[in-house]
Amino acid sequence: MSIIIPPDFGTHEEVVPEFNSGTPSRSWYHYLLIAASIVFAAVSVGFVGTILWNSLPEWSHHTGTLLGGSGWQAPLGPFGGLAMIVGTLETSVIALVVAVIIGLGTSISIVFLVPRRFRNVIATLVELLAAVPSIVYGLWGFLVLAPWMLNTVDPFLNRLPFAREVFGNSSQEFGTSLLLAAIVLSVMILPTFVAISREVISVVPQDLIEASLSLGATKWQVIREVVLPTAKIGLVGATFLALARATGETVAVALVAGGVANTQFHLLYPGTSIASWIATEFGEAQGNEIAALMALGVLLMIVNFGLSLISRGLVSRQRKVLAIV
Amino acid sequence: MSDITELEKPVETGHQMRDEIRQISDRVRGRRQLRSRIMVTLCATALSVTAVPLFLLLYQLFRRGLPVILHAGFFTQLPQTPSLITPNATGGVSNAILGSLVLTLYAAIMAIPVGVLVGVYLAESDSKLAASLRVIAQTMAGAPSILMGLFAFSFVVRDLHVGFSAIAGSFALAVLMLPVIVISSEIAVRGVPNTLREAGLALGAKPHKVSLKIVLPAAVTGIVTGIILAISRAIGETAPVLLVIGGGYINSWKPLDPVSALPLSIYENAKSEWPSLRTEVWGIALVLVVFVFVLSLSARIWASRKQQAR
Repeated sequence: MSIIIPPDFGTHEEVVPEFNSGTPSRSWYHYLLIAASIVFAAVSVGFVGTILWNSLPEWSHHTGTLLGGSGWQAPLGPFGGLAMIVGTLETSVIALVVAVIIGLGTSISIVFLVPRRFRNVIATLVELLAAVPSIVYGLWGFLVLAPWMLNTVDPFLNRLPFAREVFGNSSQEFGTSLLLAAIVLSVMILPTFVAISREVISVVPQDLIEASLSLGATKWQVIREVVLPTAKIGLVGATFLALARATGETVAVALVAGGVANTQFHLLYPGTSIASWIATEFGEAQGNEIAALMALGVLLMIVNFGLSLISRGLVSRQRKVLAIV
Repeated sequence: MSDITELEKPVETGHQMRDEIRQISDRVRGRRQLRSRIMVTLCATALSVTAVPLFLLLYQLFRRGLPVILHAGFFTQLPQTPSLITPNATGGVSNAILGSLVLTLYAAIMAIPVGVLVGVYLAESDSKLAASLRVIAQTMAGAPSILMGLFAFSFVVRDLHVGFSAIAGSFALAVLMLPVIVISSEIAVRGVPNTLREAGLALGAKPHKVSLKIVLPAAVTGIVTGIILAISRAIGETAPVLLVIGGGYINSWKPLDPVSALPLSIYENAKSEWPSLRTEVWGIALVLVVFVFVLSLSARIWASRKQQAR
């Protein structure tokens, strides 16, 4: 996934000359641009509209089942979406918490601790890792981490007191589980989160940092009292983007979560998520099931669009705040 | 806070006072510095916690993948299904490599002209249409890729009766690439200094001539960089093509044939029961990652070179 956060184009002080500013009749070029824009708008509307339209049969009859029912009876229904919704929440929230805590420390280290000449190399490396296709993370989780979970981590977790209530039994044969999905997701969204949060932290004005240092603040005091508060909005934006990526992740989760519509939400049981359930079930789906999967897609779309609108708004607000400072 | 109130206690002489301030300051500084050192160490720990799994991933990818791609016929042969008699016969992945290239090529042909033109429009227009298209592009850029697969399935495969085919996969990838190209082209065109535009207009050139002959050439680096990044994202996506390309086992470049793709064959081989296929999958993953790295590194290096030249 590439990370492009466009600069804020909201204000237009330096007005670009309009196409029709000097010429009475609009040129062919202008119409070409308009035509391309209409094509783009049509594709986008078609994208949302097609998925909505195809999911309508399911929404009109079985909204309750889809949002809260358990069990997915393949050819005819009912199609309960509870397992996928909770699975998505569980895996992405755990992944997000881990990735944000570790990622924030990493970004701070890259900006303030790593020697200047290595900084660009590390930043490039992080962005390259963010570009690694998610299927490769899934493959690594499935072929390397899953056996390790099965042989080492799961037995260890099961020996802990009260672990059974949280994690459940690790009785599956492959080592795939919701916990593994959360781990793989957190490794996967780390580079994304670090790439954005590093950028947000590194644009905190040097004057502020130097002023604070000259007052005798220690390194941590500067970070805690000056850098993090200044970068706060942007960091929240980065968090939302990472969450959007985690909830939308498909094939990596399809490989490592186990692919079972399970409503016992213990972390060591195999489970699934909305996106990965669509991917694994769609091949054999017919009629009603296609509508149900499309309806799950609509859920995913609503969540994702909401998250990315919020995050982009926050990141561009951060830019304005910094511009004033 | 308590340290400051301690300072306000009455003291007899200036000499005593100085000593006392020094003592308090020493004590507080020690505490502050200890705290700072602990937190900074924690941050450094976080850096290494991030680095370890990611380096492990890359290390294992290269260690397990290199022997596979050096194996004869990996790039040239078609895949074989291993049998009990020949459990190690996996063939090659020529169909997946060709399929990925073909899918990306068709997707690029569909997405680049529209994307660049929309980007230029967004950069040079102030209309309401431009403002709403910008929001749409930014939202679409982060949409989960599986949804592109659903769209391509309903629209191309089913409604247009095209069937499972390369063109359906390319359509899904084009929808994925479009917003990325739009956004990066807009940024690139806006980066062109206004003085260039004004100089062109002052010489009497028509606005569309200025845009085509002056602004676009000046912005071409940024536009191409964005296109390469979009391609490198598209080539690695599994979910959109999973639902629509059909997974063909022959070498084909025809738009209406079912094709395979590198990410798709990784997904399928990883789940295979044959150990030989699960070994081969590392080679496919390595090829894919090298593709992506070469694309994004070249985009990056080219962009920075051009920037320096300016």
